[in-house]
Amino acid sequence: MEEILFSLNSVWLVLGALLVILMQGGFILLEAGSTRMKNAGHIAGKTVFTFGLASIVFWAVGYGFIFGGNSNFFIGLSNFFYSGDQADGMPYSTAAFFLFQLAFAGISLTIAFGGFAERAKLSAYLVFAILFSVLVYPVVAHWIWGGGWLAEHGKQDFAGSTVVHLTGAMAAFAATILLKPRIGKFNKNGTANNIFGHNQVYTALGVIVLWVGWFGFNGGSTFVVDDGFFGFVALNTNIAAGAGAVAALIISWIVLGKSDIPTILNGALAGLVAITASCAFVETWAAVVIGFVAGILVFYSVKFFDRLKVDDPIYALSVHGAAGVWGTLSTGLFATPELAAVGKPGLFYGGGFSQLGVQAMGVTVSAIYAFVVSFVLLYAMKKVMKGLRVSEEEEIIGLDVSEHGNYGYPEAFIANEEKNRIAN
Amino acid sequence: MGDILNAFTQGCVFMPYTEIKKWRNNEIEKQETSDELNAFHDSLMKKVFEAALKKVNEQSGLPPCQYAWFVMGSAGRYEQAIISDQDHGLIYEEENEETNRYFKKLGKELAFGLHEAGYPYCDGNVMSSNPVWCRSKQSWKKQLAGWLKEESFESIRFLLIFYDARTLVGEAEYVLHLKQHIHDFINQKPDLLERFLENTMHVKKAVGFFHQLLPETHGSHAGSIDLKQSGFFPYVNAVRLLAMKESVEVTSTLSRIDELSRNSTYVQELKSCKEDFDKLLHYRLMHHKKMTENYEDIHYLDVKELSKYEKKDLKHILKNGEKLQDYTQSVIKGMMRR
Repeated sequence: MEEILFSLNSVWLVLGALLVILMQGGFILLEAGSTRMKNAGHIAGKTVFTFGLASIVFWAVGYGFIFGGNSNFFIGLSNFFYSGDQADGMPYSTAAFFLFQLAFAGISLTIAFGGFAERAKLSAYLVFAILFSVLVYPVVAHWIWGGGWLAEHGKQDFAGSTVVHLTGAMAAFAATILLKPRIGKFNKNGTANNIFGHNQVYTALGVIVLWVGWFGFNGGSTFVVDDGFFGFVALNTNIAAGAGAVAALIISWIVLGKSDIPTILNGALAGLVAITASCAFVETWAAVVIGFVAGILVFYSVKFFDRLKVDDPIYALSVHGAAGVWGTLSTGLFATPELAAVGKPGLFYGGGFSQLGVQAMGVTVSAIYAFVVSFVLLYAMKKVMKGLRVSEEEEIIGLDVSEHGNYGYPEAFIANEEKNRIAN
Repeated sequence: MGDILNAFTQGCVFMPYTEIKKWRNNEIEKQETSDELNAFHDSLMKKVFEAALKKVNEQSGLPPCQYAWFVMGSAGRYEQAIISDQDHGLIYEEENEETNRYFKKLGKELAFGLHEAGYPYCDGNVMSSNPVWCRSKQSWKKQLAGWLKEESFESIRFLLIFYDARTLVGEAEYVLHLKQHIHDFINQKPDLLERFLENTMHVKKAVGFFHQLLPETHGSHAGSIDLKQSGFFPYVNAVRLLAMKESVEVTSTLSRIDELSRNSTYVQELKSCKEDFDKLLHYRLMHHKKMTENYEDIHYLDVKELSKYEKKDLKHILKNGEKLQDYTQSVIKGMMRR
């Protein structure tokens, strides 16, 4: 029996890993659809190579930093260049667990790159992919999942509202501040322009791919299949996403007078990000509330960052940051005594403020760490690499050509070039 | 100076376009009310016509037949803002090669002259320089009949535009005569009104669920209400539609309301309408005196600049515009059902 369970658990983990890796495809569609044609090929391509880079770094040091033994305050210090060894007493294949964790590290990095969109140099992606995967993500992951001090504190973050989403969003925040807004995003009088994405269908498809992938993300985070608990986790995940989409539709309709499609899409994602921390700890009605609040929060968060004149091309700060914070705090409110396998029940279940306090402290410290370290790293890169951003001309012609010498949509652009040549 | 200006307005002194523009720039901000402003616009445009005609005279002699020059759009409705683009057309009595050539030339000169005098070209090309808007009486009649029969999106737009035509120079009965064709057609085929309705009933919402103003959220006009789309259009379109139904000849929205109010069916619904529309004209005039010279900017009203009372007032006006549209819709649809 144990052997069968071992195999089933391992299959479940690899399936989870596949779904999470497929989310990279969701991000490609989401990010490319939300930005302009001239950068589409670049966005798709860089997602693939940075995931490749992050995979190797995770194998070399990331995994060891997060889960290794002999740990200090920040990181573990064993299991580097992971050989595929089976750890004693693990009820599933350790290699499968490794792959699953690698996929998460890759997602966090891709979220961080949302803040780079449409203006960062390719070399900046390359260098930051390594630095983030070595120095930023593993530390937060170790603290919360690797037996670090926040884990001991009883911080609840089932599948990574903080570890994966908020950490990525904070790096995106640091990047977008240092990179400054895209050309044409803000007017002289301080108002913001809408730089429309080139394909709303891609964006929506991206959301659906992510939505499906999230069952691997959250459901897979049960690691084991024995009691079928992953089904409950998947259920909570789905209804939170639905509630987020509905809430965003309602709030945009009320406030703008129109049901805004990017807002609806952000709402679904925000619901998913928020339920990520709490999906295993809360009842279904609470999942609906958590998703609903996330859908409203993301709408106001986007407005807030616009007002701060922070250019966040694919809304990473709002979808992964603001909703990540809310999701982390939500367990401090809604975690039930029966479900809280880690930590204590939340405020609404007689747990008082203690778990809420743990969550608030954990999310604050993690956010500060991820932001400050990312900012320092990017600042140093900016100095050493003589800027993180492409030149104005390159930004205007688009990164497809400036960084890769090839168009994502050749026909659309080359036809124009021909026309110009003839006209000249 | 005053005497000279008086002489200009009386039409005794010829002014080149650049002089007209100077006159315009000096005087336009001094106009206190929308009526004064529009009277001033009329004198400016008539001056442009004189100058254009003189220029064409010098090359091609006197007009070969009788004609009418009419304005449409906000000029036709006598509700131009400080800056308005040009919308105008020509009708001439006889159709032959000579007249065609002559008025084509005049049409082009008029568009050029108006542009020189500070009226931007019309994006939609509704100008005498465009053969669609410059033709003989006979040809106009044929064109209108075609539009009425065709009922395409474009022809419906053209008919709506033409319906605001007001003669500025020449034979006023030409336009009235052509409009009579539209009235006759509608009387025979009232479902045409429903097509007009469909074409104009889409409005940019400016008051939200909680009765809050919905200014632009992005772009250089963020924080401003689009007065043209959200404020003027509902009133202008609804009132024009009722005017079409009742064969009202006058073209300004306010005088259309007056005329329609004589009919007891409308008196109740249109009661507050006139006051609201008057206020809209006033808001535009007051706030745009501070504005830049850009035609695009002129339609935007910055919400931050409004007092608490003005905001409340504006919401009320915008809401009433929506109501008027709903009412008009029910009138037209109700008529169809009968």
